[in-house]
Amino acid sequence: MLEKYREPLSNAIAEGEAEQAVELTRQALSEGVDPLDIIQGILVPALTQVGERFQAFEIFLPELMMAGDAAAAATTILEEAIAAKGAQRQHLGTIVLGTVAGDIHDIGKNIVSTLLRSHGFNVVDLGRDVPAIRFIEEAEKHHAAIIAMSALMTTTRPAQRDTINLLKELGKRDAFKVIVGGGCVNAEWAQAIGADGYAENAAEAVVLCKRLLQAN
Amino acid sequence: MPAHWLSEIMRRSHDGPFMREHDFDMAVAKTARQLTKKYGIRFNPQTPVPWDDDLTDRVYQAGLELFLEVGVYNMDTSRVIRFSRDEVEEILRHEPGQVVLGEGKDAVVMKARKVEDTERPIVHSGPTGTPCSETMHPRILISCAQEPLIDCLGAGSVAMYHGQEIKPGTPLEIMGSRRDAIAARMAVTAAGRPGMHINDVAVSLTCAGKMAACNPQFGLRPSDGLLVSQMTELKTNFDQLSRVAFLLDYGIRIVDLMTPLIGGIGGGAEGTAIVSIATHLLGATCYCADYHMMSHTHLKWLNNTDRMGLWIMAEVGQALSRNTRIVTLNDIYTVSGPGTEELLYEAAAGAITGTVSGMNIQGCGCTGGSLTDHYTGLEARFAAEVSRAVVGMSRQQANELVLKILPLYEHTFEAPRRGLPFQEVYDPLTVQPKPTWIEPYQRAKEKLASLGIHFVT
Repeated sequence: MLEKYREPLSNAIAEGEAEQAVELTRQALSEGVDPLDIIQGILVPALTQVGERFQAFEIFLPELMMAGDAAAAATTILEEAIAAKGAQRQHLGTIVLGTVAGDIHDIGKNIVSTLLRSHGFNVVDLGRDVPAIRFIEEAEKHHAAIIAMSALMTTTRPAQRDTINLLKELGKRDAFKVIVGGGCVNAEWAQAIGADGYAENAAEAVVLCKRLLQAN
Repeated sequence: MPAHWLSEIMRRSHDGPFMREHDFDMAVAKTARQLTKKYGIRFNPQTPVPWDDDLTDRVYQAGLELFLEVGVYNMDTSRVIRFSRDEVEEILRHEPGQVVLGEGKDAVVMKARKVEDTERPIVHSGPTGTPCSETMHPRILISCAQEPLIDCLGAGSVAMYHGQEIKPGTPLEIMGSRRDAIAARMAVTAAGRPGMHINDVAVSLTCAGKMAACNPQFGLRPSDGLLVSQMTELKTNFDQLSRVAFLLDYGIRIVDLMTPLIGGIGGGAEGTAIVSIATHLLGATCYCADYHMMSHTHLKWLNNTDRMGLWIMAEVGQALSRNTRIVTLNDIYTVSGPGTEELLYEAAAGAITGTVSGMNIQGCGCTGGSLTDHYTGLEARFAAEVSRAVVGMSRQQANELVLKILPLYEHTFEAPRRGLPFQEVYDPLTVQPKPTWIEPYQRAKEKLASLGIHFVT
């Protein structure tokens, strides 16, 4: 039964047709398709493909955003169905993500957020201008495995180190993996501030998060 | 523009329709896509410098329609500031079409240039988007200010103050901003051009930081300029609008900085061109801008010298030139860095495209502004020399030239040649380029001469 919906639902996601994606998802559920199978078998692969096409510049940010919105709309219904069955959706892990204090640039961070979600991570997006303590408090609240921080400006990237230093000061550095990215950030900077990883783009961020969680 | 108009912008910032930011982004994306279809706008990679006036005018109409349809998003209030067509047209009618930059014998007049204009563009240079070290920053500024073909200097950005990292909103930002303004004033003075226009102090990310750069004696004067930024796409906030309030009062030139993302909210080349027209209109209506700095940026490579970037530059420059009196400059961003021939070819493509498309020139944002001290005056000299050589050239000829230059650097986008920092390619004491940088510069000039560029001697 899952096969019946694979192509139309994948297409609806890829084309960013949220209403169609919701309709197809409802139909699939009414025919008894397992919601977890829909997520893992259709939504995640469809969004992964969209992400790859975006990375290759075959499609652009609006298509990525619309696909993300369509998948989110379908996921909401599927998670309700999962909860109704008394089950719980399995995520690859929870990532608390945000742009650091003083920095209001968030396009890159939003792309990372979309791709991480598409690959099955539970992403808690804190938005922009996020103080160090909030990264930590939210990571604790959501039992996150990873704190991911973005910074575009040279003058704002020290805030990434502030969070790492605060984690150390609070004796919580080992509780989370910390990764960094953004326009002014590179591998040398990540190493210098004691981050656990650096990703140059959104696709690399997905690979990095998977690697860090496997190592856990 | 009178200050009471700013009061009206404030009123609309509070009274305009509420919208979630994501919904605004999607509205921009969808409207740009619809307008691309409605106006039949098509990007052709074989015409990075197009000459179809009808297409260009459609790009302008689409950009104007986008601006009227979606408006401007105030991120602090989550409300949309909208304008009527009459209001926009009234503001554009009052555009003076030129601005005096700098003072005394060093003053220049930067104009809204014509397409294929026979008058040369004004050339700006300076590490506005490139981080600099405290030690090299003053020398990098002198390397730009001393170039005879450079008319205006960007004061750039230094991330440290006496060894401490500068954080926005702290006293160090204020101190860093004042220091960089003084460094720029000293650089233009050392170059024998004390009245040269300084177009920003980029270290400051807040209104307070920008204000700190202003000092008629040692810092920025009313004859200089400071940036008011837009957030991608078509967004502003109170910090930016507060800058406008102060800058209007100080009398300094207001520079509208926009960074439309190629492949971003606007989508591909067509949508990004439409968005770029709309962002100029934001600068004219909300920021009372004296001139505009178009720093469209490739989402993946951080440059604007690829075919899409050049096409957008050309279409927007021509569209504004044909339909408005807005004064704008194209901010050339490259993937390559100092010491490489590829940087010079990227600079040349950008300079040619901007020059024949009615724009003024700024360059070059080497390595997409990603590497510290990767900025020198020599690549700016090169861009200016190429620009002078092609003044008055037809767009068809320019297109043929650019098509010959593109293969000299396009292959580096995925594996950029980042080059070397300032101190490796210039002697920091004499502030003169070393042979390691002069030699590729000469080779690039010879190469371009062989392609048909006749450098002015």
